[in-house]
Parts: sequence; structure tokens; C-alpha cells
Amino acid sequence: MSTETALRSERNRAIDPITLTVLWKNLISIAEEMGTALRRTAFSEAVREGDDFSAAVFDRFGRMIAQGNFTPGHLGSMPFAVQNMLAYIPVEQLEPGDTLVTNDAALGAGHFPDFFFMQPVFDDAKQLIGYVVNTAHHIDVGGVVPGSQGVQGTKDAFAEGIRILPVKLIRKGVFDEDMLRIIMGNVRLPEKLRGDLRAQANANNVGVTRLRALFAQYGRETMDDVMNAILDHSEARARELLRRIPNGTYSFDDKFDDYGPGTDPINVCVDMTFEDGKLTVDYSRSSDQVPAGLNCYLNYSRAYALFGMRIFAGIDVPQNSGVMRVIEVKARPGSFFNAQYPAAGGGRAGCQVRIFDTINGAMAKVLPERAMGAFSHWSNPNFGGVHPETGKRWIMYDLIIGGYGGRVDTDGPEAFCPVFNCANIPIEVHETINPTRIQRLELIPDTGGGGRFRGGCGMRKDIEVLLDDTTLTLLSDRHKNAPYGLFGGESGALGQTLLIRDGKVTELGSKEVCTLRRGDVLSFRLAGAGGYGNSSERDPDRIREDVRQGYVSAAAAAATYGVEIT
Amino acid sequence: MLQLAFDIGGTFTDLVLLDTATGDLDIWKVPTTPKAPDQAVATALAERIAAKELSPQKISTIMHATTVATNAILERKGSRTALITTEGFRDVLLIGRQKRYDTYTLHIVKPKPLVERADVFEVTERTAFDGSILRPLDEASVSKAIEAVKKGSYDSVAVVLLHSYANPAHEQRIKALIRATLPDMQISLSSFISPKYREYERTSTTVANAYVKPLVHTYLGALDAALKKLGINAGLSIMQSNGGLVSPALARSYAVRIVESGPAAGVLMCAEVGRDEGYEDVLTFDMGGTTAKLGAIDAGRAAVTPTFEIDSVNYTRGSGLPLNITAIELLEIGAGGGSLARVDAGLVAIGPQSAGAVPGPACYDRGGAQATITDANLVLGYLDPNYFNGGAMKLDVEAAAKAVDDTIGNQLGLTTDEAAWGIHSVANANMERAMRIVSLERGRDPRKYAMVAFGGAGPLHACRLARALHVPRVIVPRAAGVGSAVGLLVADHKVDATVTRILALSAGAAATVGTVFSELEERARNQAASLQGKGDAEVKRSAWMRHVGQGYEIRVDLPDGRVDEAYIAAMREAFLAAYMREYGYIDRDAEIEVTDWYVAATIMASRRKIAARVESAGARRPNKERPAYFPELGGKIPCQVVDRYAIKRGETITGPVLIEEREATTVVLPGDTASVSLAGHLVIEIGSTK
Repeated sequence: MSTETALRSERNRAIDPITLTVLWKNLISIAEEMGTALRRTAFSEAVREGDDFSAAVFDRFGRMIAQGNFTPGHLGSMPFAVQNMLAYIPVEQLEPGDTLVTNDAALGAGHFPDFFFMQPVFDDAKQLIGYVVNTAHHIDVGGVVPGSQGVQGTKDAFAEGIRILPVKLIRKGVFDEDMLRIIMGNVRLPEKLRGDLRAQANANNVGVTRLRALFAQYGRETMDDVMNAILDHSEARARELLRRIPNGTYSFDDKFDDYGPGTDPINVCVDMTFEDGKLTVDYSRSSDQVPAGLNCYLNYSRAYALFGMRIFAGIDVPQNSGVMRVIEVKARPGSFFNAQYPAAGGGRAGCQVRIFDTINGAMAKVLPERAMGAFSHWSNPNFGGVHPETGKRWIMYDLIIGGYGGRVDTDGPEAFCPVFNCANIPIEVHETINPTRIQRLELIPDTGGGGRFRGGCGMRKDIEVLLDDTTLTLLSDRHKNAPYGLFGGESGALGQTLLIRDGKVTELGSKEVCTLRRGDVLSFRLAGAGGYGNSSERDPDRIREDVRQGYVSAAAAAATYGVEIT
Repeated sequence: MLQLAFDIGGTFTDLVLLDTATGDLDIWKVPTTPKAPDQAVATALAERIAAKELSPQKISTIMHATTVATNAILERKGSRTALITTEGFRDVLLIGRQKRYDTYTLHIVKPKPLVERADVFEVTERTAFDGSILRPLDEASVSKAIEAVKKGSYDSVAVVLLHSYANPAHEQRIKALIRATLPDMQISLSSFISPKYREYERTSTTVANAYVKPLVHTYLGALDAALKKLGINAGLSIMQSNGGLVSPALARSYAVRIVESGPAAGVLMCAEVGRDEGYEDVLTFDMGGTTAKLGAIDAGRAAVTPTFEIDSVNYTRGSGLPLNITAIELLEIGAGGGSLARVDAGLVAIGPQSAGAVPGPACYDRGGAQATITDANLVLGYLDPNYFNGGAMKLDVEAAAKAVDDTIGNQLGLTTDEAAWGIHSVANANMERAMRIVSLERGRDPRKYAMVAFGGAGPLHACRLARALHVPRVIVPRAAGVGSAVGLLVADHKVDATVTRILALSAGAAATVGTVFSELEERARNQAASLQGKGDAEVKRSAWMRHVGQGYEIRVDLPDGRVDEAYIAAMREAFLAAYMREYGYIDRDAEIEVTDWYVAATIMASRRKIAARVESAGARRPNKERPAYFPELGGKIPCQVVDRYAIKRGETITGPVLIEEREATTVVLPGDTASVSLAGHLVIEIGSTK
């Protein structure tokens, strides 16, 4: 980035801390307002319930200055996506109101459902002053299975739906109807996708208006100085925080169950090297990319590595390109965490928790007070099919979320969203809009890993399917490798996904794809989370309370803690 | 005749007596007696009656706002409550919506529910989303649950079954069965308290109602007895969080509706002030000791939201307990006079931590060392160290300056004034963000609004905030220090009813829509019949609507009248207009549906005349000068200081000027002009928005 270096040496005017604080807040609030507009008008459950979107403001050199606090899944990908789009369509070809769009996995956020919208912002003199960008997870972009996130049977990206390399989808404020028609012709719920594309365009318009007003009020020179100061300041702060962690390489290995029924485990291995305030996160020792829709493109691996460091190094400056100057994320090309096109990555959401678990395991060695037992993991099933009466397609996207691992001073919270941050979808909402019935939603006693501080319980959710020919895509894990405990804490219980058909129970693979019949019941049973510290050190009052509340049975209390509760 | 209003807050109980013949207001404050809040009221009234030789019979109406329900929840001191729910779903309350209120923190805990896992009992039954019964209620399972309730010595029971908003039969049957065994048990049914879909929020609301109901019952009984003992026999009305007054009987059944009633009354005061000055659209800005609260009044009506969150962490949405109660829209942030400043990663940061009353800001000389917003305002010359709270307390300028230097200036290499200005302006930036959410993000154009600023610190910051948002004028009301109590005097009596029924607004919807509204209107009118207000209830309809497939609904106000196909077409148009206002674009092809239906019945308050004269106003002080900081004028300049009560009608004062009164100081910026209106409010025209 030669422009950046040139600009930094040319401009060295100091900006006072008050102006910096106030304008920085303003720039972040622009990104947040864009995100709020997007969330409220979205049709995609992933956007509105899961905050699976992001919005950011970039300077005219394509450097990310401010990002709203939405999903961590786009933390690292945005700056790269913008540079990648500009490599296809250079800035000279952009006019006010134009918007560049891509959903490519490698250029963008690692799977096709995420569409990036990038709009240049010009001042009244038609000078480029920056870019506003947002990205959102769409319900379906075509491919083999509803929701475009299949793992089993999705051998490469060609099975994952439409791929859009950077195009000018909006010209001078008007959608290119021809291009839209191509997109709509390739997806399962075209009306919803169209509504969400409009919502994304609208979100950027909110950002354009505000960024122009801010430049008009403070002038180009001050804004340039502020943007440079934000990046320099963030870099310095991130470096200072990383420097507090002793130099050295910290490693941890974990694994995924498999990438579909009958396949091998995938090794997840991280080496984190701290060297004088600079960090390299290297996943190269992990397995090779797999012929299933689970692979992580580097932009995605980077996002959750950055999230992990926000937690462990306590990086408290808002996310921008400056923070990323001190954290390098890498992985061997062709390995699972740096998958190469045409690797399939639709289900990569199944990896985010494990990326964090692995970083957590490595950092536990040097920052035990911030580490925790491994999470329950989660389940992200998609049900879909066609209503026989109306002929309409339906997709039910669900999130089943379990517990946290025990921590240095507390038990792991029950039923709380790990790493990514989603709200569940209420039972009464699901049943109103989808041909399914939820029979049970409850914690599973005796599943949390024992310890001085216990891991949270697993979660059970039973869903009955009310229509024949329903396609089920499973996306879960921890059926074979239990969530680990730390410092003597026990592992959580393993998870299971059961199919109950005509009273007969069959166990399904965590990433299986299958067809269901009317009356089938799927029983999702998430793993329990890992414990922290030795079970023998647990406060007997806590054990008694667990039994009284029904988190732990009296029998399990006797077996795990050797405490008889009557 | 006299009208009495009192607002029992956490620290002070504010009382107001209005003489309806003269319009004179008698205002006073006494310390709250938290254990028995009615005591402070009784003592204060007894003393006033004696001192002014009032005849208690002359008091014709009583209006009351209370934190009794709020505090019970915040301090987890409510009744021992059991929850009866559908088998398989005992953990709904514990699970909640599962989202962290801060994405970038994992060392975080969920809000503590009002009932524990061991307090939840399941019954066998199942109702579907359309109200059909999938599995009949198994009465043997109910008997077991009731046995458990009996054994557990609970005081109150909440009953929440899946989809009971669509068919309340099983909940009603359970109530009858409990009554038969435990005739004195307080029972709250979710189909009665909050017939809306989304099981967690409905459960949270119903449990909260059950949790505070016995307490509210006892409290209102004690208050009634105390008033009667003083010879005051006037009808009592209680303020709800939606800004409407109700009878004690309704407050008892819907106890959860009276949380947060004080702040609601403050917003009503702003609406009245706007009316006095001829402004129907008002942004409200209340900045006190620990927080700032921002709200809006549209076309003369305080904006109301369908949900409220209580016990949140650092005023962050999603961190507390959600309640499905209509509430006056208020956004609260941790920016009050006592909010602490610090350097955070090389930048100035403020709050949400507050110095509280002890130690308080550094300038109070009670041991506070970290700078607060009040310290900054003192250093900047905006506050008079000898006239804080009317001179009741002397402020230490040196201590404030030292705190500002130690906390901010020395670390960032700024002079004391620059550092203080930094605190002041970063506080403004935080409030600007909040005000943008309340205004622009919710489809309100601030250029068309007046801002009413009150609370101890509001008038210090209001003009800067108005400039940043291009609000053309600021009004600082008289008697701003007891805004909520004054607001009670102008409140209407109001009840509302709501229900979830998801319905596409397509051809043929008219019959169903008509039925839904007539059922709701009947419910609202029945409740309205027990209100204290005089006259007929005005019934207004609204619906929460969205495009099919969206997750957020917007509220659309609807006309009354017969529901036919033309009415449905008008509903569609009203939705599109509201959508356009809120989001700036519309899609005519996308299907529209209604999720929640809402009817409010209001009995308007007879507009009371309130005189401009406030009895308790401080003595007039001579005008003078002191140095105050205005960066646009190059820093500290000699600034004119004017006693608010010395400003003559028709006189216009041009900023920079500091206008002082006992409880607040208004900072008028260079180019702004201030005058006192006929109604006695201070009106500032913002001269420039740069």
C-alpha cells in the first residue's frame, strides 16, 4: 500500500485528542447508523436476528476507518474485500451513486450468501472522499441445498449457488435490472433476496449522506488528518496491548468430528507467535481443505482470529485497518483455513466457535485468567421444501445455542451465544411461519463438564416436521470430540442429533444432509461445555445449588464431586 | 379546588399542589422513605396542611408516580413467585434470547431472572399458533403443579402457556383450578397481562407482573389509608409507564405497567411546555446526576414504544429484562453531571460509571478525585461555585481543576480549560449520538422540532446539542427541577389493549380486522369505565406492520370507523407512508402484514391553567459577569450572567450569556438569543448551527 506510506510521511500534522475523539465517534456512528437501517429493513433472519452483517466507512485510499459493532465474522474480511473489488473495477470508473457488488468466497467473506455492497462517496466538487461498504448474509443464493450452506455432498463451489465476481450492480443510483434478473434466476427465494439487496443499497445511502455532511462541516484537510490519526493511534494501541503478552509461540490442537458421515476428523491447529507487539496467527499445521462445504477461506479465518485477540489481548480500539497492521493471520495455501477456489465453504459458520476454542486453548497457557473451558458448540440446521398446496418454497433457518465453559471465577453461563452473536428465533415465531412444531426446548442436566467452575449444560431442542419431502441440512459438531476442560476441569458430555421416525431412533452425523417425512422428529442435543479447575475444589454450596435447581442430578453430584446430596 | 401530584423517586419525593382557581403552583421536595414510601408523603402533606392552613377536603384529585414496582425488580425484593408453563419448556425464561448485549465481550453474564429454575412447574397441554388445541389440558398434571406451589409457599403465580395469546382457554382453566385450592393466591395469566407472541418476552412480562403484584397491592392500600387519615378523600390515580393515569384497581391487576412511571411524567411535562409555546413536535432532553434521558413528542403526543427493558447493564439494550408494556419512548445513556471522565487508549471517555452522591464530583469536596462532567462545567465557568442548587452547596473550583488536570489534562498534554472542554464536548458527542438515534434514525427531522431541556445539567448542554442536530430552538421550562410531578398534573387517563394476530393485509382481510379491533375496543372501554377521569374515552387504533418476511415492525396509527375494503387499502397506504418516513424508500410490490393490534382509550385531562409564577423560585439576584469558556470566541471571555427571574417579558438577550436559576444554569451560545415567554419558559433561538 504505497499510497498509505506516502500519505503518512507527507502529512504529519498533529490532531488534538478532543477533535480526534469527537470525529472518531462520528465516523463510527455513521457505520452504526448504516447497520441499524440494514437490520431493520432486512428479510434475512441471519441479518435481523443474528446481526450477520457489517457496515463500515473507508477513506479514499480504501483503508477501513470505522466499522460498526455487528458480527465478528466480517472483522477482517472487509478491508480485503474492498481492495479486491477495486482491483477489478478501478476508482477511475466510478461515479456518484455507483455500487460495486461481489459475493465471491475468496474475494469476500468466505461463502456466497454474503454480498458486499461498496459505494464511493464524492463531495460537491465531485472529489472522492471515501467509500461506504456493507455486507449481509442472504437467506439463499441457490446451489444444492436450501440456505446454500450444505456440507455433506457439496464437493466444490460450483454446487453452492451463484458466484458474482465484482460488478457494478447499481449505476448512478439505479439497479441494473438485467443483472438483477440473472441473480434472481438462480436463487430459491428471489423476492426476499431482492428486498435485502434494496435494504443494502439503502444502508449505504444513509452512510453517503452522513459522510458528505461530515466532510462539508470539517473540511477535507481535517478529515484526512483525523483518518490518519485513527489508523496510527489504533496501530499503536494494539501494539502496546500485544506487547503485554510475553514473547513466544503458543500452540493448541483441537479437531472437528468430520466433514460429513463416514469422513475423517479435521485437525484444527494454531501457533500464535508474539514478538515485540506483533502477532502472527498461523493455522498451517491444520488439515488440508476438504471436499465438502466447510472450508474456511483466509478472510474468514482472519475474522475470528482477530476476534480472539480482541478478547485475549483486550484490544479496545474500534476495529479498523490500523489494528490489522500488527496482527498477521496466515495458513498454508490449500489448507483448511486458507482454502483455494473452488473449495466449498457454505457451511464455514460451523467453524467460528472452533477457531476461538483453539485460540483459547493456546492463550490459556499465558493468560489463564481470561481463558475458559470449551463451548458447547452450536447447531445451525436448515429445513426446507415446497408447500404442497401453494407451491411456495420455504426455508427454516434455526440456531440452537448451548453453554459457555467454566471460567476463573464463575460457572459457564447457560444457553448463551458464543463468539458470534445471535438471538434465537422464538418458538412461537417459528411455528407461525414454518411447517414445523417444536416439542421441547430445555437444558440437559449432567452434561456440563465438572470443575471448580462447571461448564454450562447442553441444550435439547426437538423439532417435528409437518411436511413430506423436507430437506434437512445439519451443521453442528462435538458429536465425537468433547468440549475440553481447562486446568483439571472435565470435558463436557458429547452432543448428538437423533432422528425419531415411527418410534425408531437413528443417530445422524453432525453435518449430514437428509430428506425427512411428515411426522419425523429431530432431536438436537448439544454437547455440554468444559469445566475449569479441579472438581475436587468445587464449593459444596454450588454443588447443592446445582442439584436443587436440576442442573446436576444427585447421582452425578456423587460421581463427579463425591458429594452426597439428599 | 386543589390538585395534588407527587412523584416518589429513589432519593426525593416531589410534591406539587395546584390551585385550579389561581393557577398557582406550590412545589416542594422531601427525602424519600424507601421502606414505606407512603410515610414521606403523609408527613409532607400533614406539615403542608398545617403550615398553610389548608382544608384537606379542598383537594379534589390526586395523581401519583412511584418507583415501588421498579425498585422491587431492581433489588430483587419482590414476592416469592412460581411459574407454571407448558411441558418441555420450563427453561424458556432461563434461556432468554441468548444474545450477548456486547458482542466483543465473553466475560459477561445474563440478567438474573425473577424466578429460578426450581420455581418452574410444567403442565401437560399444547395449543397451536392458530389457537387450535393439539393436546388437551391434563388436569392431573395441573394438580401436581398446584401441590408444588402450595408446598413451596409461594405468594404469587404466573401462568404462561405456549400460544396462549391465540387461545387463553388452558390458562383460564388453570387459574380456576388454582383458585379452587388456593383462594388467596395472586395469579397472573400471560393471556391477560400480555397476549402477544414471542414466548420469552411474554413470560418475562407475566413473571414480572406476578413478582410485583402483591407488593403494589399492599402499597396502594397503605397509601390510601394514609391519605384518608389526613382527611383527603379525593380519588387517586396512578401513572403508568406509557404516560397514562389509571385507577388503583387497574394498577393492581396490571402491576407491571407502573414501572418507570416518574420519567414518563417528565416527558408529559415537556409536551405541555411545547403546547404552551405552540410547538407540537418536541425532543425532550433530561440530564440529571447519573444519566441523560432523551425522548420525543410528535404532534403533541409523547411517543410510545411497545416494550420496555428493566434492570439493564450500563443502559445497554438487550442486557436487562424485557417487558411487553407500552412505555413512553426514552433513550437513557450514562451521561449525567456525575459521570466520570477518563483517558482511554489516548482518547477522552466518559461514563457510564458515575461518582454518585458519594463521593460525588471532585468539586463537592467529599473525596472524589476523578473528574466528572460537573467538574468540567465548573472549570469552564458555566456553573457558579457559590450558587449551586441555589447556594445550598459551595463548589470547590480548585478541586475541580485539579481533578480535570489529573484525570485528563496531564495525560493528554492539554491545559485545564482544554481538558475541561474536552470532557464537555465528548459528553455532548455521546448525547448527540443518542439524540440522533431518537430523531433521525426514527424518522424525525430535528430541524422541525423544539428541544425541551430540563434536569440539573440539561440546560448546560442543550444549546450545543441543538446546534449539532440543527434543532432551531431550545426551551427551558419553569419549575424544571420537579418536572415529573408537574407532568402528572397534565397527564391524561389512559388504558390500552393489545393482541398478536398475524394477518396479511390482502383482499378479504376486512372482516377479521373489524373483529380484532372491536374486541380490543371493548376491552379498552371496559377498563376505561373504572378510570377517575371525566368524560368519554377517545379510542385510537394502531397496528404494528411490516413486509411479509421482515422481522421488525413499525407502528402505524390508524383512523377509527368501519372496517371495509377501503379501510384495508388505507391501512396499506398508511404503512407505506410510515415506512417511507422511517427508512426513506418503499417497495409497493412487497406483501404487507400486521403482527400486533393496539387500541388506546384516553380520557383527556381538562387543560389546567398553570401560572407562570412559581412560588418557590429563589430571590432575584443582580446581574453580573464571570469568565466562561467559548472556543468559538478564543477561550475564556468575560461572560454576562443573568438571573432568570430578572428577565423581563419582551426582553431579548443575546449570547454568550449564562442564565441562572436555583436548580439549573442555561448556557446560551454566541449568536443565540433568549427570552422569557408569557408562560414563563425560557426560549432560546439557536442562531447558527455551525
